[in-house]
Amino acid sequence: MSMVNSSPPVSAPFLSVTELTQLIRQTLEAHIDTVWVVGEISNFRVPSSGHFYFILKDEGAQIAAVMFKGANRGLAFTPHDGLRVLVRGHISLYEPRGNLQLYVDFMEPMGVGSIQLALEQLKQRLQAEGLFAAERKRPLPSLPRCIGIVTALSGAAIRDILTVLQRRFPYVRVVVRPVRVQGKEAPLEIVAALEDLQQLPDIDVVIVGRGGGSKEDLWAFNDERVARAISGCRVPVVSAVGHEIDLTIADLAADVRAPTPTAAATLVVPELAEVLNRIEQQRRLLVTAFTRVVELYRQRLKQLAQRLRDPRHTVENLRLRLDELAERAQLAMARRLEYGRQRLRALADRLTALSPLAVLDRGYAIVKHRPSGQIIRDARGLAAGDIVEMQFARGRAAALVRETEDP
Amino acid sequence: MKEEANMHAGTLQSFEDSMRALEELVRRLERGELSLEEALAAFEEGIRLVRALNERLTEVEARVEVLTRGDNGELKVDPLASPGKE
Repeated sequence: MSMVNSSPPVSAPFLSVTELTQLIRQTLEAHIDTVWVVGEISNFRVPSSGHFYFILKDEGAQIAAVMFKGANRGLAFTPHDGLRVLVRGHISLYEPRGNLQLYVDFMEPMGVGSIQLALEQLKQRLQAEGLFAAERKRPLPSLPRCIGIVTALSGAAIRDILTVLQRRFPYVRVVVRPVRVQGKEAPLEIVAALEDLQQLPDIDVVIVGRGGGSKEDLWAFNDERVARAISGCRVPVVSAVGHEIDLTIADLAADVRAPTPTAAATLVVPELAEVLNRIEQQRRLLVTAFTRVVELYRQRLKQLAQRLRDPRHTVENLRLRLDELAERAQLAMARRLEYGRQRLRALADRLTALSPLAVLDRGYAIVKHRPSGQIIRDARGLAAGDIVEMQFARGRAAALVRETEDP
Repeated sequence: MKEEANMHAGTLQSFEDSMRALEELVRRLERGELSLEEALAAFEEGIRLVRALNERLTEVEARVEVLTRGDNGELKVDPLASPGKE
């Protein structure tokens, strides 16, 4: 080609930059048609325009890529750095900057399907939002007045649920809000049904579900709107989607996840017989306990009645005690008398020993003045001519004082 | 919204509340700390609860209905003719 010659051509006109980039672009577009490329996304960004800009790379090379808003709107998942994707697009040149770009119109994650990835991403997003948090889960009423059911009227699910309800606890009002449980319309119908059932004033719990089916059949229950309607419901919601192994977003958002519709019905009502048993058991305990209380008071009354006779016992006791005391007093008195008597005798003996009469026995005499009877201890008390009386141990004698003598 | 739900739960739990009240009465009687008058009152209240609970179990008329929206958007409740078929 003439334009790649090393020396400028004589006749050919020079190209402007615009002309060159145009030429490159036209050449590229003419030679490289639609391509399918596998690579890893990096530097992924979405400006306010809504277009996706990123780099597609592998171990050896990289290329700028763009996916316009019109194309990326249909994408179920959100691409992110590090994601290996298969893209379809065409190569072109962004002339204003001379950049080579891959214009992507289709993208699918490698490894997992895009739908699966979208589901994972939705799950993570709602999880991060706390929609599945355990503290959001409400307990089911022990005895609902009215049970709302959101499911298809034609399915096996409604039959199973009604059968179980009838068997376990027939005294309950059930309101079915029929919906399509698969297909494009299903999510919005389920959302509307949940809203309608909440209008019923005595609704206490809602079962949302359907019977088993393929992953695609259950897809409505992986819808974000359904999940939000379930978590926003004013009464607890039991999810019952497919079989045990099918875990949907709706299941995660529900207050209680029942593995099957049958299980859901079992969860929302108690077994009538069991409840009746429970009441009867409490009634029996009540009667027994009350009887025991009455018996207790009867016993106490009996004891009190017995203790009421106590005053008589007390008098009797006092009398006995009095007798005993009297006896002891008498004994003590006698003992004391005896002691006194002995002391008296001892004193009398001692008195006897001290008696002047005893001295007289030893030969002394007592001289008394007559007639005063005064005992004479000093001769000066006497004068000649006084008469004195002398008392001997035995008998007396009178004597005339002849003279006195001073000591 | 949460409050509304709780308020609602308050009324719908009345059965469970009554059941708990009954169990509590039994416990109090069993503890034997009540005066004779209190015990009698507790017993009478308990018997009343038993009766109310039994009535509550069967008071709701068993019926299955279908909720639909009419042409004018009004909600309608009709008896379910034959469940499981359409």
